[in-house]
Amino acid sequence: MASKPISSPVPVAWYPSLAVLMLSIGLVVTASFFIYEATSSRRNRSLSKEIITGAVASVFLGFGSLFLLLATGVYV
Amino acid sequence: MLSEPTLVDLAPYVTTKVPVSSLESLTLARSREMMPTVPHFVLLLFSLSILSSTARSDLVISRVDRRIDLTSHIVRVLSSLKVENVGAGAVSEVLLAFPNSQAENLATIKTIYIEGKGKGQGSSSLPTARVEPEGVPPELTFYSVSLPKGLEKRETVTLDVLTVFTRSLKPFPEEITQADVQLVLYQDSAHYLSPYAVKVQTLGIRLPSRRVESYTKYPNTKLVESEIRYGPYENVPALSYSPIVVHFENNHPFVVARELVREIEISHWGNVQVTEHYSLVHGGAGTKGGFSRIDYQYRPSISGASSFRQLIARLPPRAHSIYYRDEIGNISTSHVWGDSRRTQLEIEPRFPIFGGWRTSFTIGYGLPLQDFLFESEGKRVLNITFGCPMAEVVIDNLIVEVVLPEGSKAISVSAPFPTRQWQEVKYSHLDIAGRPVVVLEKNNIVPEHNLYFQVYYKFNNLSLLREPMMLIIGFFFLFIACIVYMHTDMSISKSSASYLAKLQWDEVQATVQQVQNIISHFLAVHDRLEASLRDLSRTGDVQSCKAARKAADGQLKELTKELKPLLGFLQSSPQASQIWPKVEEVVAKEKEMQEKLMQKHSTVVDCFEKKLGGREIENRIASQQQKLSALRQEVDDLLEVIDEI
Repeated sequence: MASKPISSPVPVAWYPSLAVLMLSIGLVVTASFFIYEATSSRRNRSLSKEIITGAVASVFLGFGSLFLLLATGVYV
Repeated sequence: MLSEPTLVDLAPYVTTKVPVSSLESLTLARSREMMPTVPHFVLLLFSLSILSSTARSDLVISRVDRRIDLTSHIVRVLSSLKVENVGAGAVSEVLLAFPNSQAENLATIKTIYIEGKGKGQGSSSLPTARVEPEGVPPELTFYSVSLPKGLEKRETVTLDVLTVFTRSLKPFPEEITQADVQLVLYQDSAHYLSPYAVKVQTLGIRLPSRRVESYTKYPNTKLVESEIRYGPYENVPALSYSPIVVHFENNHPFVVARELVREIEISHWGNVQVTEHYSLVHGGAGTKGGFSRIDYQYRPSISGASSFRQLIARLPPRAHSIYYRDEIGNISTSHVWGDSRRTQLEIEPRFPIFGGWRTSFTIGYGLPLQDFLFESEGKRVLNITFGCPMAEVVIDNLIVEVVLPEGSKAISVSAPFPTRQWQEVKYSHLDIAGRPVVVLEKNNIVPEHNLYFQVYYKFNNLSLLREPMMLIIGFFFLFIACIVYMHTDMSISKSSASYLAKLQWDEVQATVQQVQNIISHFLAVHDRLEASLRDLSRTGDVQSCKAARKAADGQLKELTKELKPLLGFLQSSPQASQIWPKVEEVVAKEKEMQEKLMQKHSTVVDCFEKKLGGREIENRIASQQQKLSALRQEVDDLLEVIDEI
């Protein structure tokens, strides 16, 4: 019976590096989101730009926090 | 000629001929109390065996060699049987009989079938199951071994039957002081109890040490070092039972786990986490008379001989993150070392365990996923050991919980022995519907039960993305909340002077930003023109330069048109009174720059057409160049000032 072992889709040794990378990118995009919110005036704001920035930031932050949890041993 | 005690002779023999050793009369009186039950059983057996014909006559055991291992607190009996078919037809099963008192303590029974001789010997395991044939006395329990192919007439088959009994060594005396050694009693039969007649049989009992208090002496009994040998006995009829009692010293740690809960949690991100909760008790003679730490530490040879301090667990290789704690906290007296075949964990409870004392603790460790989870035929298989990794532990009640990731379906279990199974749900990190848990329960577990069992389930790989999706959606809600907050107008009074002033200031700010935008567009056009000039000096292509000039002209015109209404608004708005002069200045300066740049451009193009030298060109545009750079600087400064407002 050919049974091949199943392992994680991402190599386990990469978890800490991936966590740091994704979280830093996510935080940079979050920073740009908040800067845009703070400096643009009410009339000039474009909703689509805000939502896209928020979505990209949340994707990176989501994956970053997942890999952070896995790297610290909380295998969710 | 066999002059063994037949069943009838046994009654007087048992009560008077037990050899008295150096034990006090108390011991003798106690043994007299115990013995009366044995002849009762024996007489009943004898009468029943005469009245009923349970003795099977189709098979005969031509030789049986029994070896009873009493070195540990788990009794292992290995019987090598040579069964011969003396009946008429083929026989497909062999019956094994045990008295009920022994059968209660039977943890596992395994039959190995040896075929072939010499080099070609192969062995395979035969299914052995409990049966209840008709016409048997109720004091016996029968097990049936199914032979792979029927045993023909006059053929012999060799079987090795391994039976493991727990709780068969009774501590006697039942309570000892710290300085005493532990003496235990073992009861069995010198004759092999079988529904078939036995031609030749021997029995060897291996004891842990040479110290034997007493043992039943039949003819053909001898004590050789630490082994008692009974036999050989010849031509013993079926269902014969001649009880023997061995009273000896056994200081092996009697580790009994009253309950062990093993939780095996699988995470498809690469880890199998095993958590084991132990509740241990020392199953030997109880301790009386208090515990003296001084005696225990300074005279170890005569103190606490039957107590134990350490437990050794053998974990799979590549186990990591091992912890050992109890309800108080972490226990640091432990050692781990590992190689490629196993990880050995040696733990020391907080106190040495004497008879009757209890301790409870938790051990946890993580294992790499690829060692235990496999894929076969579209299903995922978890292949992991069932029993406890500790050496020589008897478990009264073992509960194994396998926690599968959320989204697992079609769960089934295949175990090498019968267990009670049911399913539960566990809620853990990032769970919506909970994780399915398969629970297996079994009683009376010995180390021979530490075999692999499999759990099959289906899992879609995309379900693995559910967890990051939950985190992403959570973060996205935060951002949406931020956006909503910035977009809503939550001021209470919509007509107060300050609110209106704020509104106007917002408008002014927006306009100024737009103006800044346009100015930066202007500057970009200027840069492009300068670039085209540089290209001209490099390539000498006048036509493209002229085309660039034309495009620039067009763009500048457009931008000026856009700028007009904004400037008009700023001029008229009262809020912009501070910022208006600065903006005006910037626009004026920018206009100047435009003019100068256009002049410069035309001059350079002309010179090129007239094919003048480089230095001439430079001379002509020198002053304009200076002015341009100065103006540029001023415009940048002004823009910065406007920004800060």
